[in-house]
Amino acid sequence: MTASLSPLIHLIDDDEAVREALALLIGTVGLRVETWSQPEAFLRGFDRSAIGAIVLDVRMPGISGISVLETLMAQGVDQPVVMLTGHGTVELCRRAFKSGAAEFLEKPVDDELLLDTLQQMVRRHVKSRQRNQASRDARERHAQLSPREREVLGLITEGLTNKEIGKALGLSPRTVETHRANLFAKLQVASLAQLIRQYADLVDGHDPAAPAA
Amino acid sequence: MDHHNRRMSARLGNRLVWWMLAWAAGVALGATWLGMQELRRQKDAFETDARIIHRLLSQRAVQHDAVLATLTLRAEDAAQADDAAWRRLGSVYPQITAVARYTDAAGWVSEATAAISPLAAQARLRDESLRLRQAVLADAALERGHYWVLQAVPGAAFALRIDARLMVPWADWPMPDQGRGSDVRVALRWQGSELVLQPGLDAPPRRMPTPSVTFGFSKSLAAQSQPFDVVVSGAANPWLFPWLKALAVAAAWGALLLGARAWLAQREARERAEALLRMGQIARLNTLGELAAGLAHELNQPLTAVLASTQAASRLLDDDPPDVQTARGAMQQAARQAQRAAEVLARLRTSIGRADPGAGEGVVDLAAAAGKVLYLLEPELGAAGVKAELVATPPSVQPRVRGDAVAVEQIVHNLLTNATQAIRASGVSPGRIVIELSTHAGQGVLRVTDNGPGIAPDLRERIFQPFFTTRGDGLGLGLSLCESLAAGMGGRLELEPAGLTRQGDLNGASFSLSLPLETRA
Repeated sequence: MTASLSPLIHLIDDDEAVREALALLIGTVGLRVETWSQPEAFLRGFDRSAIGAIVLDVRMPGISGISVLETLMAQGVDQPVVMLTGHGTVELCRRAFKSGAAEFLEKPVDDELLLDTLQQMVRRHVKSRQRNQASRDARERHAQLSPREREVLGLITEGLTNKEIGKALGLSPRTVETHRANLFAKLQVASLAQLIRQYADLVDGHDPAAPAA
Repeated sequence: MDHHNRRMSARLGNRLVWWMLAWAAGVALGATWLGMQELRRQKDAFETDARIIHRLLSQRAVQHDAVLATLTLRAEDAAQADDAAWRRLGSVYPQITAVARYTDAAGWVSEATAAISPLAAQARLRDESLRLRQAVLADAALERGHYWVLQAVPGAAFALRIDARLMVPWADWPMPDQGRGSDVRVALRWQGSELVLQPGLDAPPRRMPTPSVTFGFSKSLAAQSQPFDVVVSGAANPWLFPWLKALAVAAAWGALLLGARAWLAQREARERAEALLRMGQIARLNTLGELAAGLAHELNQPLTAVLASTQAASRLLDDDPPDVQTARGAMQQAARQAQRAAEVLARLRTSIGRADPGAGEGVVDLAAAAGKVLYLLEPELGAAGVKAELVATPPSVQPRVRGDAVAVEQIVHNLLTNATQAIRASGVSPGRIVIELSTHAGQGVLRVTDNGPGIAPDLRERIFQPFFTTRGDGLGLGLSLCESLAAGMGGRLELEPAGLTRQGDLNGASFSLSLPLETRA
């Protein structure tokens, strides 16, 4: 967690009056707002590490909101994106959601709807950050295990007893028990259930988030 | 526009050629048929005449046989032979120019001036006659003009010299004036020789100018002793072709084609006009659609700003303590944005006025425009059982106004179709529409009144609104577009107050279009 502590809402719309009015409105619930008149400047300059959300107008001169959305997704930006439009068609809505938008609202937008949505988005963002962080930490710890420890981990997550593990690996149950204790300590888990939940994916290279070797 | 006209007239030219070809073909067919009828008539007439001629000549020939038979019968009573009787034959039968009598005792005896020909005097002829027991031909070289017939009984015989030309019964002859002036050639033929009784075509000066159809007839006389062939020949007379009938056919066919062409032209004109109208409406709708889309976007921005600003102000005022300063700013912003929205609408109004291409601004003769639309709608009015009339008040007035002729026609077209549909929907019969032209305060007025159900009082205000319609079909744009068209030309389209129709018994709806009169400079 870097930069600032309170969530930041990015607002991109080509109309100045709309920017000002919406920024004022969003500010009334204590959210910080940064306004952008041009999508290119936004893409270049916004802080990707900060917690927050993005409010994006669909119809802008030059570059369309949908293509900005697609660019954001391609760049792996994880802030939720709320699309805002003056003329919503089903087709537009479909494209927006397919391209990864988190919400789709029509202008003129009701204040309660907008503010509730933004607060929801921020909460969602925080949670997803935490989850990502947790899995990053888990991967780091997993990487520091010795090969033998990884083998034991694999068999533990399959539900074998110490005796069975010993038999499978040609180790004495006591050695297995030692490995087990070390694992719990290194991976910083308190129970078998937690171990399995956090590390089962990483066993045997099943990690979906790991880059291809 | 000029290129379009040229192409149109080229196509029309082609069309005219086809119509003329059709007329020519029809006339040719008719003339050919008439010609063949006439030819058949002439042929029948010829054959009838030929048969009559044959019959007449046969009758005469048979007379000769009868005379000979009588003579030979009486000759058997040689004792009662009355010499004088057979000498008098010539006066009864002019063609008998000589008579000769044969007896075994005296041989052949005849008048001094008409001795029997040596050929006829041969005994073998008598034998033949005896054998056949009938008269026989003796010495017939027809080109001389006469021949002998004789009949024999045992011991006696009689011979007659016949002058063939005198044989012809001109009194009963089918051709007048002894065949002089007739085209028909009549001849007797026998064994290579021919005697012409009536020269026909060969006689000058009636030589036909062109080779023509010839008629022929040939039959032998019905007399056994004189089996000459009666040969009748003639030719068709082209001068007898029924010119008058042919002209009548050509005229009737031409009239029929002209009628068909006019009907087709009217239908084509109507279809073209309707296509133009439809295109115009579609073009306007497209413009409207685009205007609407742009409008939606342009109004959305200020509206969003107004809503957000006022809602923010509301929240700020709910704060504890209320942030009045910021709230005030927000409300001011809201007001500015509302004004911005108003400007967008103002611009829209002027741009709609200009969006009408309004190609031609000129002088429009209201009577001509109304007449043209009536002509185009004739079939539809008829189908709906609606009778439409165009009147002027006073009858001499002919309002000429400034405006676009096409737009005026479209307005009149729209008013008439609305009226027709109202009449049809309400079932009023017979439907009546009156188009009245008049002038009033520098304006030319065209008023369309119908005897339909009229406009309900609560709908009167709304009928000119776009997208308002009382019909199941239709967009409801007709009247609003017409109103803007009229306004665009500096005029007005109005619904007359109810109960104030100037056409006495018509109590339906009445719309009046007013346009500025043309002022001659």
